Amino acid sequence: MLLYNENHNRKEVLWLLTINNLVKHRGKQEILSGVSFKARPGRVTGFLGPNGAGKSSTLRILLGLDRATSGSALINGVPFAELQNPLATVGAALDGFGAHRMRTGRAHLRWIARAAGLSRSRVEEVLEIVDLTKVAGKRVGNYSLGMGRRLGMAAALLGDPKILVLDEPVNGLDPEGIRWIRTFLRERAASGKTVLLSSHLMGELAETVDDVVIINHGKVVAEGTLEEVIGNHATLEEAFFALTSEHAGDAV
Amino acid sequence: MRAFNAELSKLFSLPGMWLAFLIGAFAPAAIAALDSIAEKEEIIAGVSIRLSEVGYIGLGLGVQGIIILGVLAVSSEYLTESSESGGGNQITTSLTVVSSRFHFLLAKAGAVTVTSALLSIVAILATVSATNLILGEYAPAFEASRLIGVVCYWTFTALLAFGITVLTKNGMIPLTVLIINSSVVTVSYLLTKVTKLAFYLPDRAGTDMLMSGGFHTPFTGGLIMFAWVAVLFIIADIVFDRRDVAS
Amino acid sequence: MSVSSRRKITQILGAELDKLITLPLIWFTIMGTFIINLVLTRAFTSAGLQGAAGTQSILNIGLASMGYLQAGFIILGILATCSEYTGGQIRTTLTTIPWRGFQLSAKHLALAIITIPVAFIIAASGVLYAFIMMRDTAVVIEIDIMIKTIAGATGYLTLTTLLSAAIGALLRRTTPALVVLLGYYFIVSPLLRDFLPSSKNYFPDTAGSYMYMPPSSDEINVLTPMQGTGISMLWTLIFITVAIVFYRKRDA
Repeated sequence: MLLYNENHNRKEVLWLLTINNLVKHRGKQEILSGVSFKARPGRVTGFLGPNGAGKSSTLRILLGLDRATSGSALINGVPFAELQNPLATVGAALDGFGAHRMRTGRAHLRWIARAAGLSRSRVEEVLEIVDLTKVAGKRVGNYSLGMGRRLGMAAALLGDPKILVLDEPVNGLDPEGIRWIRTFLRERAASGKTVLLSSHLMGELAETVDDVVIINHGKVVAEGTLEEVIGNHATLEEAFFALTSEHAGDAV
Repeated sequence: MRAFNAELSKLFSLPGMWLAFLIGAFAPAAIAALDSIAEKEEIIAGVSIRLSEVGYIGLGLGVQGIIILGVLAVSSEYLTESSESGGGNQITTSLTVVSSRFHFLLAKAGAVTVTSALLSIVAILATVSATNLILGEYAPAFEASRLIGVVCYWTFTALLAFGITVLTKNGMIPLTVLIINSSVVTVSYLLTKVTKLAFYLPDRAGTDMLMSGGFHTPFTGGLIMFAWVAVLFIIADIVFDRRDVAS
Repeated sequence: MSVSSRRKITQILGAELDKLITLPLIWFTIMGTFIINLVLTRAFTSAGLQGAAGTQSILNIGLASMGYLQAGFIILGILATCSEYTGGQIRTTLTTIPWRGFQLSAKHLALAIITIPVAFIIAASGVLYAFIMMRDTAVVIEIDIMIKTIAGATGYLTLTTLLSAAIGALLRRTTPALVVLLGYYFIVSPLLRDFLPSSKNYFPDTAGSYMYMPPSSDEINVLTPMQGTGISMLWTLIFITVAIVFYRKRDA
């Protein structure tokens, strides 16, 4: 659809995410019908779509949680399960806390650090980054939605990964948190790292992302830089509705 | 009444409930059938000493299903283990829909009572027909009074499971204690060897409703068990009323 | 085995141990089992004291509560694996450790490491209590038989725990796993012993019971402790294998 500068140096190409013709059936339902896109290093890629469009399913397959019926989702050319050091390569925060309710936040991060051979001081560092140090000794079950999301972010950042995959990162955050995450993600991309985030919140996304992929009914309906996807529409939001409702019309 | 209907529909839409119904309704009949086959020759020869017990063992063990029902009715409000939800507390929704906690608990207990009573009747019918099918004319006569005892025993057990789970909020403890205690060798039976007071435990007193020659008469047995249920319900209501929902 | 993969295994095992140790429910279960076992042993002891003096073996009394005791270990096993599915922790686990077969094996190993000392202490405490209470009345037993029996009980409880963990991993939900396992151990198995006396020695629990039951001569087809251990271990390994196969195949 679009032309990219293919003269990336080697190191940058390493952290490319390639989703290639992904198909997923669950029972008789087809959740993904041939999703393909790329997320490039040095850029924040926004993965947009209405609820149930297949955003989470795609990310779950990318992270090796679910199995694709056909197609592939590769990180630097290999599936997630074949990564040598997954935590230092991909940091992921999916919807929900991703932690057992009865464990403390600190204990949760510590076992992850242990699994990846990271030090305990790194746990304190990420707790500081996401501003959870004060409540790190409390059980996750007592956390608010926003705190739970921060804990998920902390887990994702633990290995200082080259790639960040975030499912609805601003969901449940207060305005301050949203602002923090926006700056934070921009900084990550600026330092040459890859960021892929899914969302259904257009306004938030338009100010954060470089590239946009729009998915609807398990199909990619638009892919390109923010400007290209917006095209002649006034805002990303309008472009989104134009693209998704068009598509819904086709499907009927 | 509306709250009661809501509780009934909540109960029937729980996936674990089908396990409860399966065990409750059909396990007693299956056990009675196996028991009848095993005892058939002796019964026909007229030398079986267990003729009067055939069928009741199955009905005694079928309370497993009812225990699951009572526990799940409450524990489902508190915990969902779905990987998608970060610990969904249905109880918050429930209590905003039915504001009075006492009415909420009452409606729930009512739904449990009705369901378990119906389930016990289904189980009895299945058991009686199974024994009649296998033993034919030799089948023991099921006395109405003992069958009423079975219905009471099942219902009270369900309510005990219900009450304990309100207190613990977690299904594991009541499920473990009650399932083990309705097994072949119960803890309370062991305790009766140590102290006579153990005969006043709810399950000991309750089984006197269905087994002949117990410590209590069937009627007192039922009364003792009912007293336990009533006391437990009062405690559960007080505790439930005082506690913060989310904790 | 290369150095890096050996280090990886240690890290994963450490993480799984961390997870178990920081879960309060595990400790509640262990403490509860310990206390209830002592209460039951006390009941059995006083029942034994009232019975004919001299005919009761301290071992028989001390381990009489085994039947109930195993429930605590069944819960322990279920908690270890089903706790992954609370709060979506499984996603964190699998994005941190995407090698599923490895991960689940490490979890069973970690569980065994915790269970063995706990089972030993609990089994020994029962025997010790019975010994203190009954040393005047009961038959004196030799120390090596006592140690063998307690070791057998420890082995049996550990195998039961691992088997329960495998069932938990298969079913993923606490309540069904609990119902299935308790239903089997406390309802189905005792009934099957009556209906199928010929094959009863081949069930995991009845075979396993020969690991700690003092040899008696009044039964015809008894197993030696070694045969019992073998059969019980075989069941456990079969269930763990099945659990791993399913775990690798399905969506998390």
